[in-house]
Amino acid sequence: MIDLIEVFDRAEVGPLISETDYYMKRYVPKLSELIARHAIKWDKETIVNRDDDLTDRVFQAAVDLIAEAGAYCPETNRVMEFTREEILTASAQCPRSATFGEGRERKTMHGRRPDTTDDRPWVHVGGGIYTTDEQVYMDTVEKMASISIVDSVSVPSILHLRGKDSRVRSPQEILAACKTVRLAREGIRRSGRTGLPIINGISAASQPASMFAATYPAFGLRPSDGFLIDFLSEMVVGYEALQKVAFYNSISANIGSTSTPLFGGYAGGAEGVAVTATAYMIMGNLVFRGTYHYNAPLHSKLHLSSTKPLIWAIAMSNAAIGRNMGYPMVNLPYLGGGSGTKQYHYEMACYLLAIVTSGGNVFSGHPAMAVQSDSLVPDDHKFHAEMGLAAAKLTREQAEPIAQKLYPLFGDKLKDPDKGLTFQEVYDPQTKRIKNAEYQKAMDDVRAELAGMGLEVPVS
Amino acid sequence: MGNEAIFAELKQAIIDQDQEAVLAAVDKALAAGIDPKAAIDQGLLPGLTVIGEQFECEDIFLPELMQAALAFQAAMGVLEPKIKEAGGSGPKKGTIVIGTVKGDLHSIGKNILKLLFETSGFEVHDLGIDVDLFKFVDKAKEVDADIIAISALLTTTLIGQRDVIDALKDQGTRDKYMVMVGGGATTEEWANSIGADGWAASAYEAVVKASALVA
Repeated sequence: MIDLIEVFDRAEVGPLISETDYYMKRYVPKLSELIARHAIKWDKETIVNRDDDLTDRVFQAAVDLIAEAGAYCPETNRVMEFTREEILTASAQCPRSATFGEGRERKTMHGRRPDTTDDRPWVHVGGGIYTTDEQVYMDTVEKMASISIVDSVSVPSILHLRGKDSRVRSPQEILAACKTVRLAREGIRRSGRTGLPIINGISAASQPASMFAATYPAFGLRPSDGFLIDFLSEMVVGYEALQKVAFYNSISANIGSTSTPLFGGYAGGAEGVAVTATAYMIMGNLVFRGTYHYNAPLHSKLHLSSTKPLIWAIAMSNAAIGRNMGYPMVNLPYLGGGSGTKQYHYEMACYLLAIVTSGGNVFSGHPAMAVQSDSLVPDDHKFHAEMGLAAAKLTREQAEPIAQKLYPLFGDKLKDPDKGLTFQEVYDPQTKRIKNAEYQKAMDDVRAELAGMGLEVPVS
Repeated sequence: MGNEAIFAELKQAIIDQDQEAVLAAVDKALAAGIDPKAAIDQGLLPGLTVIGEQFECEDIFLPELMQAALAFQAAMGVLEPKIKEAGGSGPKKGTIVIGTVKGDLHSIGKNILKLLFETSGFEVHDLGIDVDLFKFVDKAKEVDADIIAISALLTTTLIGQRDVIDALKDQGTRDKYMVMVGGGATTEEWANSIGADGWAASAYEAVVKASALVA
């Protein structure tokens, strides 16, 4: 596989081109041509694809996309070009597992194949939703980490410093990032699982300097956590990302190559998102030297990932990588419904049925449309982790009819989703137990409905 | 071929995002003596309206929108000089200065909106991403803008939208421009709290609101 310095050099030597021309003359026409060349078509109904030949064609199209369109570095205005041989070598040599955490919490996430029903996928919970004060922050992290089936957590954000939000790239942002990590580690310690890994980016850190500062050992991030490096826009590899690649590789940290292909953006519709998402996973190892991938396709207008075409595309990209590469993957679901709503649970069940049976690991999502501060509710995430483990016992063939039953329960509500609850509305401030009976009932009702549809979700 | 047929051809060529067909139809229109303004108003713009609707309904996506916009711009490259030769000016709903706030490197949402503004008849001056607040202010003054449209995706960059409004107030020019804010991190409550004149949840809605603001 080409070495890292050579990868960085590709941003210095490729063809010069403006960003607009890169999209209009390379990426967009090439993607369209490849979709036609490989006969990639979504039938507008299927949620969980079971056509393995189509899956493999998506993988081939992704390889061709990287080889024929390249990536784009906006700082140098050059196309980063890679040969097909380099791409296939990176694909063949990608990590098949990634080990996170410390002590007895040190565990290994594996790349999964579609229809694997006899393994236990990695279970990741949480999200970067904002919290309004330190107590809610600590309680949220502690309860997330206390979920016994959880292998890693994403931690919420806290941007306030002396009552004010920190501004991007400001010195306060660095302090906020360090504070976030200190609080997160303390919350995890309180759960009694000190070694549990944090594998998300710190939302308070918008710049590499803030993430690097938060990595200083005194604040608590460790190379055995996971560090996200993202593609800024479709196929764009910016210097900030490459700076992170340079640093995290230098400290041998776990890197989560991260991508958010936009449905409705340059990638177009379901087919384009499936191919582009798959290409990102290949480039995640080739360019970012990732140890796992954080896949987060998103609807450009609704800002969520639970529409039918998007779930199909996300599942497809997992299957394409699972069958052809074996790179470990988690997928970040953005949901329409607010925390604690039935809509939110239906969306998660549908998403997890498609993604986990297609080769993804388990990741509880968080509200995106009906999001509000303090709306990371740990018992939602426990329920969704349980759903993910239940889905892992099914094949794609078994998952599809259940997903089809679920979609009508939330599909029409995505543009105007049900509002949800906050941490404070769900939990007793003293005992930290659920005080909201309606919240518990909604969860119990959905669990029973899922069982009726064929997805038994045991309480962990 | 009658004028109506040529208007229909112009419209269909835009809907097909076919630049060659658009230019061929423009040539036909001029050869038939059709007023260039009529070619725009009755041929190109109705086509763009359909494109906007298809984009909103997810029948087409950003690449198709961009192709339609390029075809429209190519046609305008031929028609505008003709209008100016005749002493007129092109159709223009208003002038918009658009950009993503300082510290924010995200461009796709802003680019989609820019295209929709352009294809809806606005003159758009795109300042790009990571834009210094005074560039918004200076450009608006330079082009005598009607609207300043400011995008922010990250919560940590939202404050940059308020900064632009504060700078306009400090310079005593707040009333001279409409300020629209948008982007993934924004809400209507945020827009109201900083005194913006408009906010929209989607690019298409933003065009509708901008059109109302300049009407």
